[in-house]
Amino acid sequence: MSFLRLHDVCAGYGQADILRGVSLELEAGTVTCVIGPNGAGKSTVLRVLSGLLKPRVGTVEFAGDPVGGLSPAVLLRKGIVHVPQERSLFPLMTIWDNLLMGGHSLRDGALARRRAGEIAERFPLIEERRHERAGTLSGGQQKLIEIARALMLDPRLILLDEPTMGLDAKARHAVFETVKSLNEGGRTILLVEQNARLGLSVSHVGAVMDMGVVRLVDEASKLLGDPRVAALYLGGNPDTRANGGAARAQG
Amino acid sequence: MQTFVQAVILGVLTGGLYALMASGLTLVFGIMRVINVAQGAFVILAAYLSYSLFGHLGLDPFLSILLLMPAMFVAGVLTQLVFVRSLRGEHASEMSLLVTWALALGIEGLLSIGYKTTVRATNTGYANKSWTLGSYRFSEPRVYGFAASVVILLGLYSLLRFTRFGRSIRAVVQNPTSARLLGVNERLVSALGFGIGAATAAAAGALYGIVYPFNPGSHYDLISRLLSIIVLGGLGSVGGAVLAAMLLGVTESVVAVEYSPTWASMSFFAILILVLLVRPQGFFGLRERVL
Repeated sequence: MSFLRLHDVCAGYGQADILRGVSLELEAGTVTCVIGPNGAGKSTVLRVLSGLLKPRVGTVEFAGDPVGGLSPAVLLRKGIVHVPQERSLFPLMTIWDNLLMGGHSLRDGALARRRAGEIAERFPLIEERRHERAGTLSGGQQKLIEIARALMLDPRLILLDEPTMGLDAKARHAVFETVKSLNEGGRTILLVEQNARLGLSVSHVGAVMDMGVVRLVDEASKLLGDPRVAALYLGGNPDTRANGGAARAQG
Repeated sequence: MQTFVQAVILGVLTGGLYALMASGLTLVFGIMRVINVAQGAFVILAAYLSYSLFGHLGLDPFLSILLLMPAMFVAGVLTQLVFVRSLRGEHASEMSLLVTWALALGIEGLLSIGYKTTVRATNTGYANKSWTLGSYRFSEPRVYGFAASVVILLGLYSLLRFTRFGRSIRAVVQNPTSARLLGVNERLVSALGFGIGAATAAAAGALYGIVYPFNPGSHYDLISRLLSIIVLGGLGSVGGAVLAAMLLGVTESVVAVEYSPTWASMSFFAILILVLLVRPQGFFGLRERVL
């Protein structure tokens, strides 16, 4: 049984569907990278999984339970956290308070502080600058704190939406090292990445999206050498689209 | 020099009361992006309720705060649930302006029916008393009102700064989508936040009634000042509202004493325009929403 399963999910904003029948399965303990051109629906998949957007049609199952349409708060309790593409720290709060906000769902304040302390040991930046406002950090530092904050609830599935967007090479490296380290700790990660080569290089499985559906799913290393990936990534290949159903493979 | 210092003292005491009124208004805007133009009417409603409690039961306005704050907190929560919560879509902020304006007019109408349009004041035994310290005079009701405002504002600060609920309010103010993703119940925070705004208006109204005369139409003047204060302080910033309210109080008082009362109100608006030319987001406002 898959850890996470989306089947024929349609979702969008207003009358327009962005997702037009997305099917995807994730195995526990893997890193899956979703790539595709702008507007393919990559981020929308994550918004459906974290409860920011309700699917209009289709099913979403997490660890065997149907979770489609549940609120972000309920999905957090089930172990799904979402680090969005945009800067999501609270800029006027201290870094420490930002971290504690990650444990907002924990009723036990002592547990939240203990978890924050454990995470701070792992991320030296937090310990060094815990009393400073989050808005004073660089983009790369903010992204690391966002990822650290996502660990406060000890999540089972982490959704990372373009974590390296707008970061320099050094910050990108730091973010991906963190992704690898989280996965080595046993966490399942669903990563959306505009930089396909970079994203696939840290992933076990790759999924290629185009026009609101998943066109290809394969081992990340195979996708890196697949000529169809380049074609789809640049806006779509009619041949592949026609064979979309046949090409779709579950990772 | 003596008149200048006396004017500053009066301005600070007045500013404290305005800070209390404006804190609730800016908090509600920060949480919901709703400009509650009924905040002035809430203040005047509370002034009348306190006036009646004093007139009929002999309850001191400072004690009536203990009754009015929880009562208007509940009324504020219900107002948000009934009138504001259902407003959605891209024009929700504009619609909320109309809805809360209608609410203000409704409150004014009911007060006019109940109390007529006669100007009233809560005339306590200490209403006209004052202390003298050196060569300076301190009006008793203004000092009490200032002290009560400081206590309530410190309570509000402590709630926002040191409690889990307060942290969730600040989170919604700074980044509502991110707050939702971390499990904050934005709807609950909005309803309770609106209640807190109404509760601050309740306390401010009881204090307003012992310092200033009022009638049902007094909310027009109040809301124009309060809106100016929260814009200057930075929309959503309670600290900014306190600073701007102090600036309003001191500027108006000093200009009225040193130059002419005619220029008092205009002087504050001149400062408002000058500051906004340099800092469009006000003293402590966020330049833009983060997410």
